[in-house]
Amino acid sequence: MDFRESLTMAVKTLTASKLRSGLTMLGIIIGNASVISMVGLGEGGRHYINEQLQSLGPNILFIVPGNRETRRLGGLEISRNLVLADANAIAEQVPSVIDVAAENTTPGLLSFLNRNANASVIGTNPAFITVRNFTIGQGRFITDLDLQRTSAVAVLGNSLAERLFEDQVPLGQSLRINNIAFEVVGVLELQGSNLGVNYDDAVIIPITTQASRIVGRTSPYGIEVSFISATARNADSMQTAEFQITNLLRLRHGIVNVEEDDFFIQNQDTLLSIADTITSALTLMLAAIASISLLVGGIGIMNIMLVSVRERTQEIGLRKAVGASQNDILIQFLIEAIILSAVGGAMGTFLGVSGISLLSLLTPFEASASISAIVVAVGVSGSIGLFFGVIPARQAAKLDPIVALRSI
Amino acid sequence: MPSLIDLHQISKVYGSDNTEVKALWDVSLTIDQGDYCSIMGPSGSGKSTAMNVIGCLDRPTGGQYFFDGQDVAQLDDDTLAAIRNRKIGFVFQQFHLLPQLSALDNVALPMVYGGVAAAERRERATMALQRVGLGNRLTNKPSQLSGGQQQRVAIARAIVNRPLLLLADEPTGALDTTTTAEVMTIFEELNQGGITVVMVTHEPAVARLTKRVVWFRDGQVVNAHMQPEDVSYGALVE
Repeated sequence: MDFRESLTMAVKTLTASKLRSGLTMLGIIIGNASVISMVGLGEGGRHYINEQLQSLGPNILFIVPGNRETRRLGGLEISRNLVLADANAIAEQVPSVIDVAAENTTPGLLSFLNRNANASVIGTNPAFITVRNFTIGQGRFITDLDLQRTSAVAVLGNSLAERLFEDQVPLGQSLRINNIAFEVVGVLELQGSNLGVNYDDAVIIPITTQASRIVGRTSPYGIEVSFISATARNADSMQTAEFQITNLLRLRHGIVNVEEDDFFIQNQDTLLSIADTITSALTLMLAAIASISLLVGGIGIMNIMLVSVRERTQEIGLRKAVGASQNDILIQFLIEAIILSAVGGAMGTFLGVSGISLLSLLTPFEASASISAIVVAVGVSGSIGLFFGVIPARQAAKLDPIVALRSI
Repeated sequence: MPSLIDLHQISKVYGSDNTEVKALWDVSLTIDQGDYCSIMGPSGSGKSTAMNVIGCLDRPTGGQYFFDGQDVAQLDDDTLAAIRNRKIGFVFQQFHLLPQLSALDNVALPMVYGGVAAAERRERATMALQRVGLGNRLTNKPSQLSGGQQQRVAIARAIVNRPLLLLADEPTGALDTTTTAEVMTIFEELNQGGITVVMVTHEPAVARLTKRVVWFRDGQVVNAHMQPEDVSYGALVE
């Protein structure tokens, strides 16, 4: 009996018992699809976070108040000991830095005519737009003059402008922030949310105006800021910049011991490595879930294979009675198991990959099917299918035909 | 002319020392080419075991068995499979057709394992089915056929490789009187065509249609040449 005969026989058998073949394949399909989509989801999440971090630009440094200890305590008592003067000093005295932006965020109630909106009010300086690599859509950004004069001018995030002004032109309109009138001088282009801060839904005003009109208090050292961001001259000067900023701030804050640092500096790399730790754990967890589903799928495949071979012992007996050799039987069951595993694996892969594609369409996650996940899933489910399809068949093929025939 | 079947002191013992069961003990029997014979005996007399040994479905524990001049008593699995394929056709009480295959494919099955080309298989299977009067049922699945028709498909499968021996195990056990008569007619015609037919049966009426009865009791042959007319209707109620 040659291979083509065996193949025809196997296909005939599989198509004749559609329910059994279908159920067997279902186990393989679900196992594969779940593993592939789970791992894809994990990869997509990691990719998303990395992309967000990379969109910050490689040369950006964040100077954040507090030290690692206080940050770790959940930020309940985040010290606010960075001031606008620190930012100005960095800009003036650190040669490896091009631009420095100070940001201070407070919540605010905005109103225009009868429309209200809650939004973040970000007080900053003109360098903000270059440091954060944003673009202005209409009008202008805040200027140094605005800061000097503490002018009541505001630049709106794109979505916020649409929400408040709808089809009216926002430029030149009078907007009330916490019941203080501001003139809208510009609207940002759509930026997309970035690390949980949605600048599209925020309003930007001069930091000096914010301190005097909105916050209404200053520390003895000057205007407090949430954090300072700075761009280094180029990627090579990142370390220099970090070193120089650290020294300058220690000098300004009168810090002698390194342990007493009341600020710390993050760059894209440190953020990336933090994010990587988180996403690796996430991926690991998803992979664990996927492995469990693969295991469950595998047990399903195993059961249905065992049962279907068991119930076909009579068939094996008859085939042997009319002249099938042990190899003929084995090859037939091997081919059947290969077909089931291959078709089930292909369908499962297709299902998993389409699930991932659907996910990328509907969510910001650019989930992608990982080749290794596909290989592992198809490999594992395939070997389970082959093993439990062939081993019991091998045993049945060794029975005397009359014993096999008599078995129920 | 040599005998087709020649059993020499065949024994078949199940179990070990203490729990030994002698299904066959010291059985010697010859059946010539062209014979038409029934094997009878009460339940547990060893007739089915004898039939399995004769059909090379089972190996005896001791003794010699010459089938068609070849000692087949201790051949390996695959060699026996090849002998069954070429020289023996089986008909079982429960038909044992493969439910997923059509009548034609069921009949062609032995030829698949015999290495016959597809076109010839189809032609010979069709002829075999016509021979048993089922030329119009080629594509039906077993579930679409009556019991008598299924048994006729099984007979077609048994004769399709032109065997020397047709071995039937209670071939009419699951059939009614009318279909039993049909099946027995086919057997008789096949025997007249030169095939040796050996069948195990419980039914004296069926045994009476054969030329010779071999009577088993307690694992031994008590009468190897009984006249079919001598089988009384109460014979099995010993």
